[in-house]
Amino acid sequence: MAAVTIRKVRKVFGKVEVIHGVDLTFQDGEFVVLVGPSGCGKSTLLRMIAGLESVTDGAIDIGGVVINDFAPRDRDIAMVFQDYALYPHKSVYDNMGFGLKMRGASPSEIAERVKEAADVLQISHLLDRRPGQLSGGQRQRVAMGRAIVRRPRVFLFDEPLSNLDAQLRAEVRIEIKKLHQRFGTTIIYVTHDQVEAMTLADRIAVLRGGVLEQFATPDAIYNKPASKFVAGFMGSPPMSFARLTASADGKTLAMPSGTVLPARGGLVMGGLSGDKSYDAGFRPEHVKLGADALPGGVNTTARVEILEPLGAETLALLTVGGAVLTGRFPPQAGVKSGDEVTVSLGAADMHLFDTETGRALVA
Amino acid sequence: MATRLSSLERSERRLGIALLAPAFALLSGVVLYPIYNLIRMSFSENKLTEPWLAKPWIGFENYAKAMGDERLWEATWHTLLYVIVTVPGAVALGLGLALLANQPFRVKWPVRLGLLLPWALPLVFAGLIFRWFFEYQQGLVNNALIWIGLPPVNWLTQEGPAFFAICVAIIWKTSSFAALVLLAGLQTIPKSLYEAAEVDGASKWQQFWEITLPMLKPAIIVALIFRTITAIQTFDIPKAMTDGGPGNATETLAMYIHKTTIDSLDFGYGSTLAVLMFVASAILTSIYLRHTRRDPSAGRH
Repeated sequence: MAAVTIRKVRKVFGKVEVIHGVDLTFQDGEFVVLVGPSGCGKSTLLRMIAGLESVTDGAIDIGGVVINDFAPRDRDIAMVFQDYALYPHKSVYDNMGFGLKMRGASPSEIAERVKEAADVLQISHLLDRRPGQLSGGQRQRVAMGRAIVRRPRVFLFDEPLSNLDAQLRAEVRIEIKKLHQRFGTTIIYVTHDQVEAMTLADRIAVLRGGVLEQFATPDAIYNKPASKFVAGFMGSPPMSFARLTASADGKTLAMPSGTVLPARGGLVMGGLSGDKSYDAGFRPEHVKLGADALPGGVNTTARVEILEPLGAETLALLTVGGAVLTGRFPPQAGVKSGDEVTVSLGAADMHLFDTETGRALVA
Repeated sequence: MATRLSSLERSERRLGIALLAPAFALLSGVVLYPIYNLIRMSFSENKLTEPWLAKPWIGFENYAKAMGDERLWEATWHTLLYVIVTVPGAVALGLGLALLANQPFRVKWPVRLGLLLPWALPLVFAGLIFRWFFEYQQGLVNNALIWIGLPPVNWLTQEGPAFFAICVAIIWKTSSFAALVLLAGLQTIPKSLYEAAEVDGASKWQQFWEITLPMLKPAIIVALIFRTITAIQTFDIPKAMTDGGPGNATETLAMYIHKTTIDSLDFGYGSTLAVLMFVASAILTSIYLRHTRRDPSAGRH
């Protein structure tokens, strides 16, 4: 087990810089998820930690040693690949034992460790099979088994669940979390799925265009997003936005239709500039059906455009004061598309972002 | 019990037969009929030099003659030697070329051209080129030997050196085909396997043994089969380089058949020899094919 530090790391492919100086520190034993849209550099960053890509500039440090120039095999890491990268001509047993064999472990040691890992992952009955005879979920387990038997200091996961169907994905997600609780090894996990990030991570690093947007706990990412991008990317359904204009004294904000909201008083650092526009973000749970449904909420009328019943709740796409917002409605609200309803807008839970930089105004 | 076909299935089947018929007719004309004729002719006496004998049916007489024909057994032995030396030789060299061509070169065309050129060259050309290479007086090889202080060798007029020279020419000529087959095989191996092996701690050499070779096995077998089929028919290169000489020392089966049929105009016996060669290569190929039917990625269950 080891802590991992990334210092001012840049990566250039040819003439294109894909990672622009990222700084991150992962604690020993921490489960960190790197998340972002495709092309944000998360996989490249992971591959640089693995040693599969060179580091253009900056330093990567595992357990206090800069490993920039170490070959992958000398970094004491194990990686689970997106396509699992199982050796198709080898049995499950040989796949799992390969890393130990290459490191010169004795056959009895390999047998013992493979058996142990297979027991943990419940794949003992598959050891004689070839990867081609396994289901997607079983292959995924074998790929994890291959990583576990080595007992590395750091586990790297590169979108390991993206080839599984939704139900299996949820199962394996829990499996991975259990593994982390059992072994306590540092895990660096790449995904583009914000649900995976939220459910698995101790801390989440949100990347966008090769720049770190925010590095924080799932709770902080959700409740205190540092930028409009993070706010819109994390959470399902995502936060919806309205462009508001501050009054001349900076004390209130107006919706496009003119509905006035309080400007979250002292929470706004440095207050609001008069007559300036801001992007206000509302989580769906802060757009509630009914007058005074939220403490500190502002009542306003909304037009129901589209309803998405999910069983436990219904998501409603609403036109509110000239903006389009998503609200979480109770399942039996008796509302239909096209209805005019009264909603409570959670002005106290509103997030404000600078329209130019996209940074959050609320600390 | 035969299942009854619906009218749609019947009409589809009729269409299928109608579409296959032209190709079948063409193949019958150029493949099946000549083979039938060849087998028929092998049971007859048919010498163009003695037309007054007509073409009497002589049963297995030609075959009996072949069993005792020492020159046939020599030619068979030479052919076998060419197969044993040039098939693995070409596939091994081809593997080296394929691995080279699979490297991420910045400029790919010289490598690809070098790979394709021997393949595109007519066999007789290759034979003539190598005949000149190994020529006693002006040949490149002897010049090189003299330059490094060794005596020149009578390459094409001594049994051992002539066999060696022909093998070199055949391997050079045919390795590019093997390389193309193997290169295609190499490019189907996912890059992530090498990355996984790299993380697992395998050296480049171990990656070659543990991943490249086993993953390439199907392609290697295909290359071996195709190379073997053509090696059994070896003709052009020894024909151009030595014409079977010295004596019959480098004569192959195909060359002996050619000499019997075309030079001596003995069509009956020539056909018999051709039938024997056909049977031998059919047996060899079927042995190979039986091996390929095993799917290397399938398990033991």
